[in-house]
Amino acid sequence: MINAVRSELLRTRRKGVILGWFGLTILFTIMINMVMAQVVGSSETPPDGGPGVTFPTLGQWQAADGITAGLSSAASMYGVVALSFWAIVTAGDYSSGLIRLTASAQPDRVRLLLGKVGALTLWTAAVATVALVVNLGVAPAAARSADLDVSAWGQDALPTLAGAWFNLFVTLFVWGVIGLVLALVTRSAAISISVGVGYVLVVEAVITAALDTIADWTPGATLSALAHGGTSSIPYGTALALGALYTLLGLSVALTVFKRRDITD
Amino acid sequence: MSVIKTAGLTRHFGEVTALEGLTLELPRAGVIGLVGPNGSGKSTLIRMLLGLIAPTSGTAEVLDEPISAPGRYLDRVGALVENPAFVPGLSARTNLMSLARLRGLPASRVEEVLQVVDLIGRDAEPVKRFSLGMKQRLGIAAALLPDPELLILDEPTNGLDPSGIVEIRGLLADLARAGRTVIVSSHLLAEIETVCDFLVVIRFGHLIYCGPVTDLLTRARQRIEIAAEHARDTAALLALLAADGWQVEHTPEGRLSVAADEHQGADLNRCAARGGITLKSMTPVRGSLEEIFLEMTGTGDQDLTGARAAAAERKVS
Repeated sequence: MINAVRSELLRTRRKGVILGWFGLTILFTIMINMVMAQVVGSSETPPDGGPGVTFPTLGQWQAADGITAGLSSAASMYGVVALSFWAIVTAGDYSSGLIRLTASAQPDRVRLLLGKVGALTLWTAAVATVALVVNLGVAPAAARSADLDVSAWGQDALPTLAGAWFNLFVTLFVWGVIGLVLALVTRSAAISISVGVGYVLVVEAVITAALDTIADWTPGATLSALAHGGTSSIPYGTALALGALYTLLGLSVALTVFKRRDITD
Repeated sequence: MSVIKTAGLTRHFGEVTALEGLTLELPRAGVIGLVGPNGSGKSTLIRMLLGLIAPTSGTAEVLDEPISAPGRYLDRVGALVENPAFVPGLSARTNLMSLARLRGLPASRVEEVLQVVDLIGRDAEPVKRFSLGMKQRLGIAAALLPDPELLILDEPTNGLDPSGIVEIRGLLADLARAGRTVIVSSHLLAEIETVCDFLVVIRFGHLIYCGPVTDLLTRARQRIEIAAEHARDTAALLALLAADGWQVEHTPEGRLSVAADEHQGADLNRCAARGGITLKSMTPVRGSLEEIFLEMTGTGDQDLTGARAAAAERKVS
């Protein structure tokens, strides 16, 4: 299993992945903090967000854990990027034909897939770390540019930062697993990303509007709650449990599909 | 001792039958050619042997292990399936290193196979800069990584220039001399003829031939091409030979092609002398593998693809 992870880490260590995934994460972190400073700073009520973005109130942003509000606000955007890269790396093996080489080099497909999951999990942890570090640099500058008092940000720094990192990492991981499942089922990065993004931006909104009773169960709402450390409608514990459920379900589907389907590409 | 044994191996893809009841046994050691027109089922067979796809029915063994448990034998098998696939942005060395890690092999093995395929010096370059021939060599290097007992190469000379083809031929012969079994799939019969000791011919998923190349070549139609000293005597020579019961045809070069084996040259000479004709040349000609293949299958690739297209059209309508 360790061999499979090390092998996959080597294969995913390429410019497209590093520059693309890390670059977008850095870009989103800078953007969300800058925009948040402008729109949150001018209102006491939570301003309207947008697809995949939710803003805190001014009070929430100025609180001790407000320094990491940018990460939770843009968690769905980071999530879509994570979904995309997990899907690209997974489906890319089929479109390039690399899967023929790797599956004949490691016939234990469970081990092969868990190796990929392991490597992508490490990359996801690295991305979450980069997002946190960049956020720590950008958020104070953004607050200063909007003349906001953020003197509370230094309090309980370690638990605040550790909690924010963990929540972001778990959120990205679950998004990634969704990307993995979609890529294994469709064997196409483009289709996986379209389905994933389409779901977040359109399908889930329609479902929750039509069926209010399941609004607190959907993946998008669950992962958003997870990133925020829980919401009024989905407590943190519930969000964690649902996230774990989605992950187990996703990995089970992924392993079944990967193990049973022919490799004909 | 066989390296591969199949019994009634069948694979359907929906309504299409890729392989039908394939039963064969391939000997250990030597170079074995797997030949068939495009779409004949060669790649399907290779994928089944590598555990990439499962058979619809039938059984097969590779290195005495069932293909239902590829984990028991794939550490002794190296393969290049269709076009060599690598991560284009990574170097040749990194690509091989990732495969070596996956197999739990030491980094030194990468160095060894790079030397075997003569890619030392180019190994730090990204694979996207490689020519098709270099990618092909890298694919063979990847197949050689586990130091395999059995090497399965799908069209290994694809995209290689003539010197590259000669190199690969030499490499295959060296590997076979070292006691390995090398299975080479190809639709280039001339290529197979020069490299292989044993041959498997498949068409439309059915086994056409499985045996030594030499046995197959003895089936070839043997002829002797003769030419009269003076071109004006050719018609008279043809009449003489036909009168004696020989089957004779004109060749495009203006000579006569007589259905006869090389031991019958003296008889032809005597027949010509009886008519006062002196022969200028007498050349025994043996049919090529290509001719034999076309006789056995009754069609070339173009006919095959045409037949498939017509069948598909019928299905649609």
